[in-house]
Amino acid sequence: MRILLVEDDTEAAAYLVKGLTESGHSVEHAADGEEGLEMAIANAYDSMIIDRMLPKRDGLSVIEELRRMGNMAPVLILSALDDVDERVTGLKAGGDDYLTKPYQLSELTARLQALTRRAHSGVQGTVLHVGDLTLDLIKHKVTRSGRNINLQPREFRLLEYLMQHTGQVVTRSMLLENVWDYHFDPQTNVIDVQISRLRSKIDKDFDSPLLHTVRGAGYKLQEVSSPAETN
Amino acid sequence: MLQQKLADTSVQRPVPTEQPSKDRQSRQYPGWLRRLDRRRLFRTSAFRLALIYATLFSALSAATLGFIYWSTRDQIESQVDARLRLETDYLINLYKSGALPELLEAIQRRNQIDTYGRFYYLANNESDDKAADKPADALPLKLKSVRTHTTRNMGDVADLPPGSPRAFNPVRVAETQLSDGLKLTIGHEISDEQALLDHTFALVVGATGMTLLFSLIGGLWIGTSVLRRIDSVSRTASEIMSGDLSQRLRVTDRDDEFDEISTKLNQMLNRIEDLMKSMQQVTNNVAHDLRSPLTRLRNRLEVTLLEERDPEIYRSVMDEAIGDADSLIHTFNAMLSIARLEAGIDSSQWTETRIGDLAGELAELYEAVAEEQGELTFYTDIQSNPVFHCNRHLIGQALTNLLDNAIKYTPHNGVVCLSVSGNSDAFSVSVSDNGQGIPEAERERVFERFVRLENERNSPGNGLGLSLVQAVVRLHSARLTMEDNDTGNPDNPGLKVTLHFTRKAAVDKRNRSRKALTA
Repeated sequence: MRILLVEDDTEAAAYLVKGLTESGHSVEHAADGEEGLEMAIANAYDSMIIDRMLPKRDGLSVIEELRRMGNMAPVLILSALDDVDERVTGLKAGGDDYLTKPYQLSELTARLQALTRRAHSGVQGTVLHVGDLTLDLIKHKVTRSGRNINLQPREFRLLEYLMQHTGQVVTRSMLLENVWDYHFDPQTNVIDVQISRLRSKIDKDFDSPLLHTVRGAGYKLQEVSSPAETN
Repeated sequence: MLQQKLADTSVQRPVPTEQPSKDRQSRQYPGWLRRLDRRRLFRTSAFRLALIYATLFSALSAATLGFIYWSTRDQIESQVDARLRLETDYLINLYKSGALPELLEAIQRRNQIDTYGRFYYLANNESDDKAADKPADALPLKLKSVRTHTTRNMGDVADLPPGSPRAFNPVRVAETQLSDGLKLTIGHEISDEQALLDHTFALVVGATGMTLLFSLIGGLWIGTSVLRRIDSVSRTASEIMSGDLSQRLRVTDRDDEFDEISTKLNQMLNRIEDLMKSMQQVTNNVAHDLRSPLTRLRNRLEVTLLEERDPEIYRSVMDEAIGDADSLIHTFNAMLSIARLEAGIDSSQWTETRIGDLAGELAELYEAVAEEQGELTFYTDIQSNPVFHCNRHLIGQALTNLLDNAIKYTPHNGVVCLSVSGNSDAFSVSVSDNGQGIPEAERERVFERFVRLENERNSPGNGLGLSLVQAVVRLHSARLTMEDNDTGNPDNPGLKVTLHFTRKAAVDKRNRSRKALTA
């Protein structure tokens, strides 16, 4: 994946470039808003990581300008401002996701992947499949190997989100934000408990587990029986 | 003279500088004035008010006294005029009856006898011959049409014909034209009345002057005493500004407006001092609570690097280091959130939230956690679904913190309960457990930042959870109460934390902050 990183903190940028390159992406770095905008116009990137506060040109105005010019590449906003308000402003300006500093690299890559997948997959069908697991969005029905699985409404939303991001790492905060719409952070790991309940329903009675825990990052719904690589 | 003397001394100084001229200026005034800066005194609002008051009051009293003076004078004049008229009428009647000689005789007689020296009569004939030629019978008719009754003050004897007694006295004169050239002039001496009026006038002027003078002195006095109180306030304020926050303004027994202001300022200073102390406390706590994990982190990495180790060990040490860093970040985020909430930053994210629904969702999450992690029974008692204008994320965070605590501090097989009751106007949300509770004496303290009670030192947490709850509660103008959950069980009383919300308080606060924003 070709990624544009617009970040003025060179040390943080170097670390990000290294981390993303190691996970197989090609990253280009711009140190200020003007340069970032020029590069985004000149080249086609699969996704962009743009810092909120940049010298010469503010990150939000870069995004607005790109969106105005019809550039719809997914954008992840990085910001030191941790506030629901700030988040909303960022998303309104045309960003696709918002990540507050300090962040974990695993969180960033997971979100980035979710963004590009969303951008590429386009309209999804009303029935989702992962291996022998199917989820019917219209009938609100989940089956595995033809067997009916009863899920609570929230468990259904959780599974739906995981299935929409099949093969990707999904972090706990992504789940909290997208499934529960909570922009706060419970200390006890409520998500782990929810996942383990879901797992007991979809995986317990079957040979090959689908829902995997990715150490230090989150979870992944995938058909392959071998557990996902650890970060 | 004093000035002269001082001027001399300043001339005698070998090196005249700027200083002496200032000295001279201040030494020109008597003691009580010298202590104050005169220009400041005249600028005080007290002096200005006194001056305005003095002017107004003097003008008013001058007007009142003036009115009394003028009406007295009118009264005296009209009395004198009445007597003049009476006398004139009598003499004219004599004349009208056709007896000019009788009239003259009557005047003669009257001038000879002593009429208290008050009346002077004079039938002034400019040309006696002419008058004598006139037929007597024609006179009454003519007199009627010609008769003019004028009065005028005659302040000088010179205006009177010679031969009049009592010269050099003010006289009021009535003149009546009897016929062509024949004029009846009756004078009335008014020296006593005039003396009375003069005296009254002097009184008016004197009283007005005295009022003005005393008002000015009063104004100066009030001005200086106000300045003295203000000076004391500003002296104390300077001392406080220079760093001594323990100073307080002096409050007298008079209980006047200065005392009121001083009391208010003292209360403000108390609050500021409390805030400063708590900030100091927080800074110390931050230093302590962040320094220990940072030291731990550093030591762990340092010790690991002392010798060559297996890659597995490096990996596990780094995992632990990441965990330490995460908990530090978590603490930082919590501190920032609390600081932001305490600053009362109004969020546009406030929406009408159904509290019962929110509590239901959280209950769903925590029921699972309670069962699987703490082997606890989780009850929900959501009796209503009030609608409240709030920041849903913050209320969620607050309830989450309370639920986290309840699950963390309740032993296995315990019971945790989340309940909602009340309507949209006033409702309460409470989280209760049957753990060991919090002793009454500690209940204030647990809301302070980084405070952790003895028995929880070893459990995970940063001591910020309840501080955040408190901050959220304050932001929503709600009230928090903490009580024993099971009063019948002194060993394990449990804890019940209730948040009381009212719509009115929240709306009032919103309006206030809006006003503050527009102001």
